Amino acid sequence: MLKTTARLPSSAAMCLAIATTAAQADIRIGVLVPDSGPAGLFGPSARNSAILAANEINANGGINGEPIELVFADVGVPPAEAAQAALRLWRGEGVQAFVGMHDSAVREALVGRFGGQVPYVYTPVYEGNACAPGLYVTGETPSQQLAPVIPYLMEHEGVSRWYLIGHDYNWPRDTNALARGYITEAGGEVVGEEYVPFTVSEFDSSLQRIRESGADAVLITLVGGGSVGFNVSFAGFGLDDQAIRLGTLIEENTLAGIGAENANRLFSSSGYFGSIETEAATAFAASYDAAFGADAPALNDLGESTYEGLMLLAALANRAGSLSVEAMDAAAEGTTWSTPRGDNTLVGRHMAQTIYLADGTGGVFNVVAAFPNVASDEACAN
Amino acid sequence: MSSVLLLNLAWQISTLALVALGLAIVFGKLRIMNMAHGEFVMIGAYAPVITSSLGLPGWLQVPVCLLSVGLVAFVLERTIIRHLYGRMFDSLLATWGIAILLRETVELLFGRGYQSVTPPISGTLSLLGTEYPAYRIAVIAGIVLGFGALAWWNARSKVATRIKAMVGNPDLAEAVGINTARLSAGAFIFGCCTAGLAGLILAPTIRIEPMMGLDYLIRSFFALVVGGLGSLEGLGIGAGIIAGTQSVLGALANQTYGYLAVLTLSILFLWLKPDGIRSSTR
Repeated sequence: MLKTTARLPSSAAMCLAIATTAAQADIRIGVLVPDSGPAGLFGPSARNSAILAANEINANGGINGEPIELVFADVGVPPAEAAQAALRLWRGEGVQAFVGMHDSAVREALVGRFGGQVPYVYTPVYEGNACAPGLYVTGETPSQQLAPVIPYLMEHEGVSRWYLIGHDYNWPRDTNALARGYITEAGGEVVGEEYVPFTVSEFDSSLQRIRESGADAVLITLVGGGSVGFNVSFAGFGLDDQAIRLGTLIEENTLAGIGAENANRLFSSSGYFGSIETEAATAFAASYDAAFGADAPALNDLGESTYEGLMLLAALANRAGSLSVEAMDAAAEGTTWSTPRGDNTLVGRHMAQTIYLADGTGGVFNVVAAFPNVASDEACAN
Repeated sequence: MSSVLLLNLAWQISTLALVALGLAIVFGKLRIMNMAHGEFVMIGAYAPVITSSLGLPGWLQVPVCLLSVGLVAFVLERTIIRHLYGRMFDSLLATWGIAILLRETVELLFGRGYQSVTPPISGTLSLLGTEYPAYRIAVIAGIVLGFGALAWWNARSKVATRIKAMVGNPDLAEAVGINTARLSAGAFIFGCCTAGLAGLILAPTIRIEPMMGLDYLIRSFFALVVGGLGSLEGLGIGAGIIAGTQSVLGALANQTYGYLAVLTLSILFLWLKPDGIRSSTR
């Protein structure tokens, strides 16, 4: 606590009084989840998963023997406001580490604000290329989601002509740049690549181009509502007979919106599905149901990622013997821990993990393949 | 021009005209700048979600849609909207608030997640030498018939004239025996119900979630800005230009240029021809 307050900039002096009065024995961990905005859909499952992780960490002796306590903040807001909210937790409420599930713009703002002085675990699937002192990433990067999956699908589904479609921003563009490599390496070709603005909700002309391209596989990096609208129309036009679909951000909510009748041959690649049938995953799903009831928001990759983030934080801090960034950075490489996703290792500050390929045919994800210990291309160092 | 493009054009134009019809009545006739228009489309799209969660048969979707949208519109008209006739800017602020309220209410009832609706007709049909979704073909035909009937009724009925008289001079309209309170309430509810029906009809082809209304509001306003307020022809022309530009440019170039052209067109019209192509107001 004293160490933290000594570094206080004068502008935050107001918070000092609150910080000292709020001082207590428990380690406080800030959990940053979207309660509002476009990703607000994932707020409830992300909170629930974080609570489960905290219970489990405390049941196993906490972090370095001290119990932890979660403090939540809404980061479904513009980056500057999100950074402000995180700062309030850090300087105002004595939070000693952060776990964040939010977009990349917010991450950049937080990295700038934290300045490597507080450990920060970033958990959602993202485009890669984030390195900073004290930053640890559990989310899947495009290389993890595609490198094993594209060759698998090309072999098992007998497809070779890929059409790439995504929203017009860096995650889809970075994903597709990598996908091109994997596709040509496996002997396939890219027959079309297209980016649509977020404001477009009709995909008729794109679907026509896909039909004319003769594609037999479509890689989808549209997000949220755009993905739902695209996939509904895709099946409506009968294109599900022509081509399989692979998405890298199609989770349980998106699949529910697409609907069972539109999900024929729709595949998703991800580090987590609610329907993974390993022992660890079913135990996690069971305790989720027990804690929050059957009506709780469905488990999904983004929501569950906060659990991963907290478990990494605990494993890393226990290994380093402290929550200081210097000690944790030094101990980071090679940290191993197990979660519902499987056995994980921290490599280049990113989480090498099992990647699952699931088939959404019939409106429910069935895991058809699991690729253990897939490392990311990212290689952040000290 | 390929036949798919033609069919896509027909689909885009007819559905935009249907979605914008309610706004054309409420904004064009009653001068209520209804920012909650998209939310009525959204509530209509939730009608199949309501029937399936209550285990009701599919044919009840239409009555459930009209009832839920009509009831919401009625309550809002009686409590808020009726004080705002002829106060365009105030109505904008009030209906924006109503829109937020409706979104939050739906979120409270059904959650923030996506819903999906099965189309009553599935599969594709061979038409003009191409495979096209059968449901879309049925909807296009239905909208064309519906608008034909509406134009026929509009040409014969005195309701449109009465509304014009009421908006132009409410006191005089009362004096000649027009029940303005009932007439304006009826027109508002009718307009909202067409928006709800549009949502119900589109539901199997789109994403359904509490925030979906915004898309429809914006495109409807664009169509009215270009086409002009107050006439069915204006609505048709506006929908044709907005949906046509997006479809054709989206197919020939890409979607970004299509959307850019729609925005440019709307700005040019607001600037150079603020009454649109057809306007009954002058």
